[in-house]
Amino acid sequence: MTLLEISELTIDLAGGSASRLLDGMSLRVEAGETVGLVGESGSGKSLTARTVLGLLPAGARTGGSVLLDGTDMLRCSPGEALARRRGTVSMVFQDPRSGVNPVRRIGDFLTESLRLCHGWSRPDADKRALDLLRSVGLPRPESHLSQFPHELSGGMLQRVMIAGALTTSPRLLVCDEPTSALDVTTQAEIIAVLRQQQETRGMGMLFITHDLNLASALCDRVYVIHAGLIVEHGNARAVFANPQAEYTKRLIAATPSITSAVARPVLADANGPNPLDARVDAPDPRTPALEARGLTKTYSIRGAEDLRAVDDVSFSVEGGAALALVGESGSGKSTLARMLVGLERPDAGDILVDGVSRSKRPGGREERLGRARAVQIVFQDPYLSLDPRISAGSAIEDALRLHSPSRHADARARVLTLLDQVGLAAKHAQARPRTLSGGQRQRVAIARALAASPEVLVLDEATSALDVSVQAQVLDLIDEIRHERGLTLVFVSHDLAVVRRVCETTAVMRQGAVVESGATAELLEHPRHAYTRLLIDSIPKPGWSLDAIAR
Amino acid sequence: MTTSTFTRTGLRPFRLPAGNALFLTSIVMVGIMVAAAAAASIIAPYDPDFVDLGNVLSDPTAAHWLGTDAAGRDTLSRMMFGARTSLLGPLLVVGLSTLLGIALGLLAGWFGGWIDSVLGRVFDLLFAFPALLLAILAVALFGKGLTAPVIAMIIAYTPYVARFVRSLVISERARPYVAAYRVQGFSGGWIAVRRVLPNVMPTVGAQSTLNFGYVLADLAALSFLGLGVQPPTADWGSMINDSRGALLSGQALPALVPAIAVVLVVIAVNVIGEELSDRIGGRLPS
Repeated sequence: MTLLEISELTIDLAGGSASRLLDGMSLRVEAGETVGLVGESGSGKSLTARTVLGLLPAGARTGGSVLLDGTDMLRCSPGEALARRRGTVSMVFQDPRSGVNPVRRIGDFLTESLRLCHGWSRPDADKRALDLLRSVGLPRPESHLSQFPHELSGGMLQRVMIAGALTTSPRLLVCDEPTSALDVTTQAEIIAVLRQQQETRGMGMLFITHDLNLASALCDRVYVIHAGLIVEHGNARAVFANPQAEYTKRLIAATPSITSAVARPVLADANGPNPLDARVDAPDPRTPALEARGLTKTYSIRGAEDLRAVDDVSFSVEGGAALALVGESGSGKSTLARMLVGLERPDAGDILVDGVSRSKRPGGREERLGRARAVQIVFQDPYLSLDPRISAGSAIEDALRLHSPSRHADARARVLTLLDQVGLAAKHAQARPRTLSGGQRQRVAIARALAASPEVLVLDEATSALDVSVQAQVLDLIDEIRHERGLTLVFVSHDLAVVRRVCETTAVMRQGAVVESGATAELLEHPRHAYTRLLIDSIPKPGWSLDAIAR
Repeated sequence: MTTSTFTRTGLRPFRLPAGNALFLTSIVMVGIMVAAAAAASIIAPYDPDFVDLGNVLSDPTAAHWLGTDAAGRDTLSRMMFGARTSLLGPLLVVGLSTLLGIALGLLAGWFGGWIDSVLGRVFDLLFAFPALLLAILAVALFGKGLTAPVIAMIIAYTPYVARFVRSLVISERARPYVAAYRVQGFSGGWIAVRRVLPNVMPTVGAQSTLNFGYVLADLAALSFLGLGVQPPTADWGSMINDSRGALLSGQALPALVPAIAVVLVVIAVNVIGEELSDRIGGRLPS
């Protein structure tokens, strides 16, 4: 019998055909098989995962069937669904921090279903939990049992969640973006654990992700879902090597890769000034547009050793060039970005923009505005970086009028020009952030940063909260604006593939220090530092050897 | 900076709602009370202070809808005029304590550091005194009437508003949009007053609505104790006090009517405040 057979599944929210969430999708998982479900946000992939566990949104009307080991999860009684969740199917969620009860110990989390649902004794359940913690590769299983979730890192906690999902020896494991919140090296470790568990237990696995490369590296077969409908399915390698559906083709084209060539002409290369540089008053080529000298920032934490977030970092960026700062969480790259725009003061070192020092607290209005015209920033999450009460047009207009006092009508005309430059229409001027999509919001944030006509634009993970196809559009936009304005870019990112697409030079950061820097293509092809090599090896790709990462 | 095309409104939660009967009833009830107070001199059937010793403690009649008190004064008319002082006091207290509290809370929350420490200790000190005790102290110092208790109440309630505003401002200050304004070159004062304050205002407004009910009950209690509004001026609290004797002689109405009015207004204002808080809570992103 097929382990999981979803056929012609439809889900409507009460209210008619306008709110159709899933539109007749079918999917099959055999025992011992890893199946990927790939799609962007809003495609219905998480909804599908929850349906398998019998967790439906309130007021949903369903059609079709979800046969789990012969039981239809849509029609069965709540008791039967519960029995299936207790014995047949388990789920690993995206964010381990919100998936594990923060006030209970790890041991309680791992053993409660065994003790409460299956009547195991405490010692037996503890023994089982220890075995599981060992099998998911946690270093000190005995002490972890009595620890609380906040004492563990995100990667460790995700291992705990996987162990928790395995306590009842499920035959099907549903993983909903289990590594999206994790660093790339941690992701590789978690994937290795999942694959090892899947192989030794002969489980079926339904792996939901937005990452095509990850799906092709991990899965036997994949389904591509778009707007509640499966648009393509087949052998994982085949789908990505030779996509048939239009949507899959677009998705693959939009996915940045570290092996693809830099698509765009590089602005400032070694062969002298680039003709695309439209800036009239090009600065003296001997003065770099942005220079950091020995930047250091230390945070004191009560009851702990001082944390050196940024440790003696120096770099310089030529006018019109783009530098990438790459690192994992905790590498100090965001602290560095915040120092560049003046949100943090360095403890030591200096920041020079066009030869002018910008590391001190601005003395007055003129210095403050001067600093704003030197460096601007686009933040990671456009849902938080825009004032919820202020419309897109007003946000840009405020910034414009701060830097060049002008009449309302003039400013308004320039707002529309800026909106047009970032690919938005005049009607978006009135829109409040909450009515805009993620990509549109990030465009507004970019337009707002450009309103001050800065020399240098810092992009702090500016595309990592976006879907791949939206990310591709925003990256195109950044490229275009950079060429039009001769902007100098500092691109802070964890994603080497995105960096490859945007920046000609890259600096790799680890624990506050730059471990390696150089031309992006050279650095990716011939990494000299072991950490750079680890980062590159951790990026999922077809034919990915997990053994190398799992040492 | 505001124009018709680039609209910015923060008052959506205060718009009249549909569907919530209790909320609507409460608004209507408070509305009627306010209207009665405002138009008392026109619509009240009698002079509230007119003493008719030939008709004391009357039951409801066609002439006196809510009966008369121990001095033969018309209870309905006294209720209407009493609404003036009973509602005006809390209004003053809530209005002024909100203004003061916002100013101090914004100062403490935005700047932090020693300003926050100093203000925090002052608030702690004021929290140590119950509002009523402070009011009684003020009456002892400045004499009876409406002014002294109102000033005392303002002093007692301001720390609550300030502490609430402070916590809102601190959480708002940490949001990336504030960092974005800073990077754009806006001054700290502008960001605090023009951007952060309007974003916390709806929540503060809802909380202050709740305070109105507490202050109304407190001031009525002071009047009941004879420390607030002085006879013969009509006031719900003092009306209850005046009619204690009537209670003993079996006529509950003159004390019961103002007591019910106090309870109804407090409940109605609480319902309105809760509903506004809920709406604002649901509106703001977590």
